[in-house]
Amino acid sequence: MKDLINDVKQLIIETLELEDIEPADIADEEPLFIDGLGLDSIDALELGVAIKKAYNVKIDGDSEDSKKHFYSVNSLCQFIKENR
Amino acid sequence: MKFTIGNCVAWCNNLRSTQDWQLWAKGQLDLQDEPDLPALKQIPAMQRRRLSAFAKLSFHCVLDVLEGEEADMPCVFSSRHGDLHKTSKLIENVAEREDLSPTHFGLSVHNAVAGLYSIFSGNKQAMTATAAGEDTLFMAMVDAYAKLESQNLDKILLVYTDQVVPEKYQPYVSNEEETISIAMVLEKSTTVKSSANTKLTIDFEKQATKKNQENTNNGQVFQPLAFMRFLFDDNKTTEINSSRYLWRLSESA
Repeated sequence: MKDLINDVKQLIIETLELEDIEPADIADEEPLFIDGLGLDSIDALELGVAIKKAYNVKIDGDSEDSKKHFYSVNSLCQFIKENR
Repeated sequence: MKFTIGNCVAWCNNLRSTQDWQLWAKGQLDLQDEPDLPALKQIPAMQRRRLSAFAKLSFHCVLDVLEGEEADMPCVFSSRHGDLHKTSKLIENVAEREDLSPTHFGLSVHNAVAGLYSIFSGNKQAMTATAAGEDTLFMAMVDAYAKLESQNLDKILLVYTDQVVPEKYQPYVSNEEETISIAMVLEKSTTVKSSANTKLTIDFEKQATKKNQENTNNGQVFQPLAFMRFLFDDNKTTEINSSRYLWRLSESA
């Protein structure tokens, strides 16, 4: 899980071109969107595509569940682990 | 059409300041490849990360030329090819049946830079994004002039940006094309009486269509550089040809 967490953080940084941010700057439990890391809805789409490519896991864009999966790095990794 | 050019900021390889352009127009400085991009530290990193080279060049010239301007002004953004490096990458992804990047897709439209600029600056004035083949820069001036006069504006921002096209498109365009961005403030010729500004008169007429010229575009004049040379050299009149139009330019103090 620890490796996965780091990989996902690296994926987030590369995919979203967060040039000033290191994996250590992203907290496992903090919200990725708005309050936490400050990502927006376009980032969510972009991240969805990147995760599908990297882990062959498809996240349904419209469902309420996807909001939960996208909440933090931890929740995202949990979802990838269960569905890959 | 007649209008005044207020401030003008342009970036083309090593030509970046007014002095660079003056020296180049006098033949004292050569245009040399210098592919680094403006740093744009004034834009927050979260917004800056989505700016392509095309957008960065445009932003630099726009923000620089508007420094000291008091009010938001309407804008005409123009480009012959648009952000073609981004678009052709997307087309390749489609051909290879890969998923498209939503960010790149969303920002590949012709008015993407206008939108990004509006979000960044809060400028909600009317903006257009135009393209008109090799006549794009001058046709953007026609658009800007029409808006100046018909809407009785004091000022309008004109932006032109193009990059050397991706390799596979190069056979179809003039080898004179360069990566360049130009931003200038156009004002009605009647309202400004400052000697620092250039009053410009541009007339144009349609050329008789020549046959058998379709395939070879090489050596064709690159209008943006021809225009910049005229703006900064000592000549008071010039003519610039394209395959469709003849543009006659003259300037007075």
